[in-house]
Amino acid sequence: MNKPHVPVEARRAFTIVGQSVRRNDVLEKVTGEGLYTADINRPGLLFGKIKRSNVAHAKISRIDTSKALALLGVKAVLTHEDVPRFLHYGSPHPRSASCTRDQYILDDKVRFWGEGIAAVAATSEEIADEALDLIEVDYEELPGVFDIDSAQAPGAPLIHEVGPGSNLVLPPVRVERGDVENGFAEADFVLEGVFEGGRPVPAYMEPNVCMADWDGSNKLTFWTSTQTAFMVRGSLAEVLGLPLNKVRVLVDHMGGGFGAKQDLFQHEYLCALLARQTRRPVRMEFTRAETFIAGRSRHPCRILLKQGFRKDGTICARDMKIIYESGAYGSHSPGVTTVGTNAATSLYRCENVRLEGCAVYTNTPIAGAFRGYGVVQAYYALDIQMDEAAERLGMDPAELKLKNAVREGDIAPSGHPIVGRGLEACLKHGITAFDWIAKRTETPRNDPAQPAIRRGWGVGCEMHGSSAYPGIREQGNATVKMNEDGSVTLLTGAAGLGTGAHTALAQIVAEELGVTFESVSVVHGDTDVVPWDIGAFASHTTYLVGSAAKIAAGKLRAAVLARAAEKLQTPTEALDMVAGRIFIADAPDRGLTVADAMGPSKGIPADHLIETGSYTPTKSYSFAAHFVEVAVDIETGLVDVRHVMPVHDVGRVIHPIAAAGQIEGGIQQGIGHTLTEDYLIDRTNGRSLNAGLVDYKMPLSMDMPKIETVILEAAPDPGGPWGAKGVGEDPIIAIGPAIANAIHDAIGARFHHYPITPEDILCALAAQKKE
Amino acid sequence: MKQPIEMYINGEARSVTVDPYRSLLDTLRGEVGLTGTKKGCDVGDCGACTVIVDGRPLNACLMLAVEAGGCRVETVEGLQASPDQLHVLQDAFMRHGAAQCGFCTPGILMMAKSLLENNANPSDDEIRFGLSGNICRCTGYTKIFDAIRSAARQLQETPA
Ligand code: FES
Ligand code: FES
Repeated sequence: MNKPHVPVEARRAFTIVGQSVRRNDVLEKVTGEGLYTADINRPGLLFGKIKRSNVAHAKISRIDTSKALALLGVKAVLTHEDVPRFLHYGSPHPRSASCTRDQYILDDKVRFWGEGIAAVAATSEEIADEALDLIEVDYEELPGVFDIDSAQAPGAPLIHEVGPGSNLVLPPVRVERGDVENGFAEADFVLEGVFEGGRPVPAYMEPNVCMADWDGSNKLTFWTSTQTAFMVRGSLAEVLGLPLNKVRVLVDHMGGGFGAKQDLFQHEYLCALLARQTRRPVRMEFTRAETFIAGRSRHPCRILLKQGFRKDGTICARDMKIIYESGAYGSHSPGVTTVGTNAATSLYRCENVRLEGCAVYTNTPIAGAFRGYGVVQAYYALDIQMDEAAERLGMDPAELKLKNAVREGDIAPSGHPIVGRGLEACLKHGITAFDWIAKRTETPRNDPAQPAIRRGWGVGCEMHGSSAYPGIREQGNATVKMNEDGSVTLLTGAAGLGTGAHTALAQIVAEELGVTFESVSVVHGDTDVVPWDIGAFASHTTYLVGSAAKIAAGKLRAAVLARAAEKLQTPTEALDMVAGRIFIADAPDRGLTVADAMGPSKGIPADHLIETGSYTPTKSYSFAAHFVEVAVDIETGLVDVRHVMPVHDVGRVIHPIAAAGQIEGGIQQGIGHTLTEDYLIDRTNGRSLNAGLVDYKMPLSMDMPKIETVILEAAPDPGGPWGAKGVGEDPIIAIGPAIANAIHDAIGARFHHYPITPEDILCALAAQKKE
Repeated sequence: MKQPIEMYINGEARSVTVDPYRSLLDTLRGEVGLTGTKKGCDVGDCGACTVIVDGRPLNACLMLAVEAGGCRVETVEGLQASPDQLHVLQDAFMRHGAAQCGFCTPGILMMAKSLLENNANPSDDEIRFGLSGNICRCTGYTKIFDAIRSAARQLQETPA
């Protein structure tokens, strides 16, 4: 493993890392001056729109654009006949293990309701919309498959010509360790269940948007709201037949992505092509409905989980089959299937596991990458079944989870040993801080003041990796420059989704260099300028790019000290640097500022220094245990999440407020997944039923519980800067099973699916009455 | 036919000529050139476009520009008194980490401003209710509540 640079001098106490400094991108966000892609304008701008199919599975037998083209103000119309016929990955990890090469920019076949079939560029949005209506399309409809079962039925219509067949996106992922049959034979009892997950969407607040402009040298400048600017560059260049230095991708502020904005979307290719054809800048902006229809959801899933337990609570065998519904295209299904399936080897220790993961095409909108990447589903099932085992054993569920918690030296899903005892630390801390035992054993479920309310308490656990290793061998890069006045510029390709990543990177640089946080500025979001970056995903920016930035800053520190040594006429080793001041360690009064060191003095001209850092990590795992209290209204079926105590181990916290913000936002999405959010598709014809923010119900200000976030530095990982690990995805994983388990604690009903709706609650209560 | 209208945007008289079907949101972002106000849905569901018109917070995507003729319109760009004097709310949002991606932030700031103007000392429930039309998908709202509570306290101690 490529270990980060170890600083020469012994580590002083941290001065910047661990502080909630003012984020370096937040002033523009509160003044409205921050530029998001849709805020950028170009003279002569045209507006692009996409015509979407109103059938789910069909051949296009005729498409006539003549009337649209004749409309005043329409500058171009593209159909499958006009665009390069190029099979692409639909996602920006070309040639990696994560994605599937199964999409054309436009095809003569439609595979889901709402798929783009033509694109228009016009002088106004209204004209573009009108032109869409003037495009005439005849379809030869094909029978569709709208769920996992019909897609896998013998003789089911095939959605793709590529792939292993039988509507599978990839050959099944199989993982086997130990001897499962033997394990089950040793079990005192076996639990078996079928679990199902709905179709939540990321619902980032900024709808997808991009703008393309070509210059006279046939170079494309492309603004887009993406997590993976360099991958967008690569994919566009490939399709357009351009060298990489003829595609410049720009992204400044972006309004969230949550994983989904690492796909390369159909409109992005079309925008570039429309701009090339018209020789004018073109902007394409999704409507909110399009963010559902043409965006990316979490994979709906079905999981068959069977585990054998001994009387002492040991898990002696685990057999799991997980089927992810990919929708009409593969997108991230290979990655999601691999990561989600492998996740089930771990979290709770078990030596004998047999796992199988599949991803299945259906004629529904595309599932892609989304915070929690296949693991949300797997651990929902695993954690709930642990709760059931505890009930069966008459044990406290937190105790059973603690007993089986993955720990130091166990083999992680990635195949390398776990570092530290992070999950145990989270559970132990929460059991005490949440007053778990007293709540579960001493508090009545009934609340005399509210006769319809039943209270319950639950705990859910998770672990999640930083970096996409072993699926992708990642590389993090950073360039750090020391200017002549002692100010520092960090160049990074890491995207700023809104997490505060650039602030964390600047903190790492300032800490390692020995300068103030304020003296570091960050340049990002321009593929012509910043070092190559794989993209912001897999909870890895702090871990991966942070390590690269630390390496670069370490080198720069050495170079600055060498220059100061020349000026001070002393050996470099005698020097130290703190908060931008360089001094002789044994005589702290003798020194100079970084500005003096860099600036001109007699006989020595001013200088600036540039250093780079590159880092190829393996993977670290972060851990969490979420403790929740719910109140279930047995008359209305409503579940109110009242209190959440998320306990997270992040190894080393760089920016406490930003880390807590990630956790709290993840909990918000996770509550939604578990109780209210489901993007519904009509299973008879593939139509979207609730593509809007009123009908797709997310937890809002009135719904959020009291959250008491706890961040531990229990298991620092040597692969991250000062032990830091990721935190972006973790919080969305543990909250779901915690809520489901708490509902069971409140009303005694077990749910094996999400979302758990009021109707489900009332049906379960009615069934209990009958018994 | 395009129509000329005059609005008082952040205290400044602005004349624009707009199509009668053009929303106040598109007019602010387009003709007027103030892109701080965001479009998250364009159908009144998300609150990202919240501005204050004649003292009342509303969704700029649901109002036609021509309806705002003659009105006082406040947007996020007008929040700060001068380039180096931020509004108490802006400062509190930065300190408390209330803006993550920041896309909801301009709308929430305007809603919060209006809330505090009408209720200098809102309870937690009143803050929650006041923001019920503003979607934030990043923060879980906790830090936003913290920021608004802290701004309210500060405004009471030293009124702006
Ligand atoms: S853009 Fe106006 S409410 Fe969403
Ligand atoms: S900060 Fe991203 S939506 Fe609120």
